[in-house]
Amino acid sequence: MGHVYMPILVLFVLAAAFAVGSVTAAGFTGPKRYNRAKVDAYECGIEATPQPVGTAHFPVKYYLTAMLFIVFDIEIIFLYPWAVTFSKLGFFGLVEMVLFIGTVFVAYAYVWRRGGLQWD
Amino acid sequence: MSPAYYLYLSAILFTVGAAGFLLRRNAVVVFMCVELMLNAVNLTLVTFARINGTLDGQIIAFFVMVVAAAEVVVGLAIIVTIFRTRQSASVDDVNLLKY
Amino acid sequence: MSTAQSLPALAADFPAPQIAYSALSPMVAVFGAALIGVLVEAFAPRRARAGLQLAVALLGLLGGLLAVGLLAGTREVTAVGAVAVDGPALFVQGTVLALGVAAMLLLAERSLESGGGAIVAQAATVPGSADERALVGTDHLQTEVFPLAMLAIGGMLLFPASNDLLLMFVALEVLSLPLYLMCGLARRRRLLSQEAAVKYFLLGAFSSAFFLYGLALLYGYAGTVSLPGIAAATQVTASNDGLLYTGLGLLTVGLLFKISAVPFHSWTPDVYQGAPTPVTALMATGTKVAAFGALLRVYYVAFGAIRWDWRPLLWVIAIATMAVGALLAITQRDVKRMLAYSSVAHAGFILTGVVAATRAGLAGSLFYLLAYGFTTLAAFGILTLVRDADGEATDLSSWAGLGRRSPMVAGAFAILLLALAGIPLTSGFTGKFAVFSAAADAGAAGLVVVAVVCSAIAAFFYVRVIVLMFFNEPAADGPTVAIPGAFTSAALALGVAVTVVLGVFPSPLLKLADQAALFIR
Repeated sequence: MGHVYMPILVLFVLAAAFAVGSVTAAGFTGPKRYNRAKVDAYECGIEATPQPVGTAHFPVKYYLTAMLFIVFDIEIIFLYPWAVTFSKLGFFGLVEMVLFIGTVFVAYAYVWRRGGLQWD
Repeated sequence: MSPAYYLYLSAILFTVGAAGFLLRRNAVVVFMCVELMLNAVNLTLVTFARINGTLDGQIIAFFVMVVAAAEVVVGLAIIVTIFRTRQSASVDDVNLLKY
Repeated sequence: MSTAQSLPALAADFPAPQIAYSALSPMVAVFGAALIGVLVEAFAPRRARAGLQLAVALLGLLGGLLAVGLLAGTREVTAVGAVAVDGPALFVQGTVLALGVAAMLLLAERSLESGGGAIVAQAATVPGSADERALVGTDHLQTEVFPLAMLAIGGMLLFPASNDLLLMFVALEVLSLPLYLMCGLARRRRLLSQEAAVKYFLLGAFSSAFFLYGLALLYGYAGTVSLPGIAAATQVTASNDGLLYTGLGLLTVGLLFKISAVPFHSWTPDVYQGAPTPVTALMATGTKVAAFGALLRVYYVAFGAIRWDWRPLLWVIAIATMAVGALLAITQRDVKRMLAYSSVAHAGFILTGVVAATRAGLAGSLFYLLAYGFTTLAAFGILTLVRDADGEATDLSSWAGLGRRSPMVAGAFAILLLALAGIPLTSGFTGKFAVFSAAADAGAAGLVVVAVVCSAIAAFFYVRVIVLMFFNEPAADGPTVAIPGAFTSAALALGVAVTVVLGVFPSPLLKLADQAALFIR
């Protein structure tokens, strides 16, 4: 015990537990409504994605969700160098990161309030 | 293997991107060519970081990635808008403004 | 070979970085106001948004101006050497903020269109669709334009203060990305507006990729991207001159695109024409002023030691820019496009001040930027007033006889055109005199001769408009001149007043520019 790779093993266990746990919890807590869409072919087959009749383009909402994902996802990149050095940066590093995350959060609040996260 | 090869590769990638920008006609593809140029620059930056023995280049590459992502979002928004208006993403159709 | 081998280990303990927020206060004010603007968009009810946004934006800009005033005389490098707060930076920041106030007032003017202003009701509606028609005549307004403008202005403040190429690149994008979007937000002629946005975006992204490749090569050359670091590297005998000159050239492409110098000017007329006129006013003035601030810093601080290598290049570009701008402006039949080519020509005139590479050249360029900015902003402001049933009437022929119908507006436009032409007793003359004499003193007499000839050519098309307005009969179905609302009147009054005052009584500002004209190295 006390091996240097121990934290990674713990992380794997936690990640697996989270995945199993959340799927299980969803089964207990989520509403169960069956409709035709749920018995459709998944990903392959006919009409797997909701496409407007007569076009071969992806609906705009995919693009909106994808863009929001990209821009919020990429901000995480700055957390990596910060995480390596934050103990050396001390209070300064904390303040700067709070400012940064706060700015991202303002954008998130805008997207959320203006319905960017609503699927329908 | 000499790191200089990576510089040559990135120069080639940058040139491919620039040539694609000038030659391709679909706005989305044109835009992807710009992204190729930015990523070629990233390769240059990390190669120089290794040659120079400083970490700055790698950090700059992070910034470039974030800026590129922001540019993607703005660019796609503009291209999708014009596509919805004209049902076409060809840059040749964007020709109302000229003298 | 282990990957860690050639990478330096992180220093065991490095000093925590310092950021002097007081020195950054102009930018903090503007970016803070932009963030509050985004929150207003998120949480305020739709009816209250336009008024709240304008209040927040003006407070931010005026707060920034106050901060610039309080910082006057500061010479400080902060944020680990990334930001330089010195005379030229503060001068340019003050100019951009004042221009920003005026542009914001033009943006906020809503009396000219029924209910809305120059900005589209709902950018997401497809032009010509039923959704769009339902919004015609309502007072809907895409109020996001205010925080977008604030973000762009924030980038314009950071751009000339960047002491580090990486920060300069980030500032370049922060100022460009909102402008790309704002170009596509015109209320009338939406197809043209969206087309302008696509063109500006694609070409802007292309040029910033060149800037970035130049940055990467200079990093390879100097091992750092800080401007003083590059300057230090150019002073030791180096073996890698290829990297230096290629990097400098590519960097220059990106900067010349933003100041719309020939041969990177071709986007200018299209984008200026298609964008909503208040946005054009902001682009033609704020962006150009900020980009010249950054260009001056790059050339004077980082490449001051090798000025004998870049001066011939800028000579050629300055001559081409002046000549192409002036000659093509003559052929234009549209006032907005004519002003766009005029802004190209003026980029060339300012470049003569850059070529001087002396303190007088820097001071002259700073003065010229301020004078040009206010004059051009007011000229675009007047374009928003001359209207027919189709929106703004920018066709040159429809301006015939405007002086008889509406002497006040035509008179103000005539003063602005005379200033752009560089006639004495206007700010344009003082500015031209300052940069041309600096260039002549620095041994660029040939360039000054060309510049004077180009000024004369340019004067022709400015004066032609004045003749058209005052000495031609008005057409029966000509455009009407709208009564400007309070906001537009204020912006126009500011622009015309600065133009006249700097022409008649320029010495205080010339003195200020001279005091400011010293980069911190």
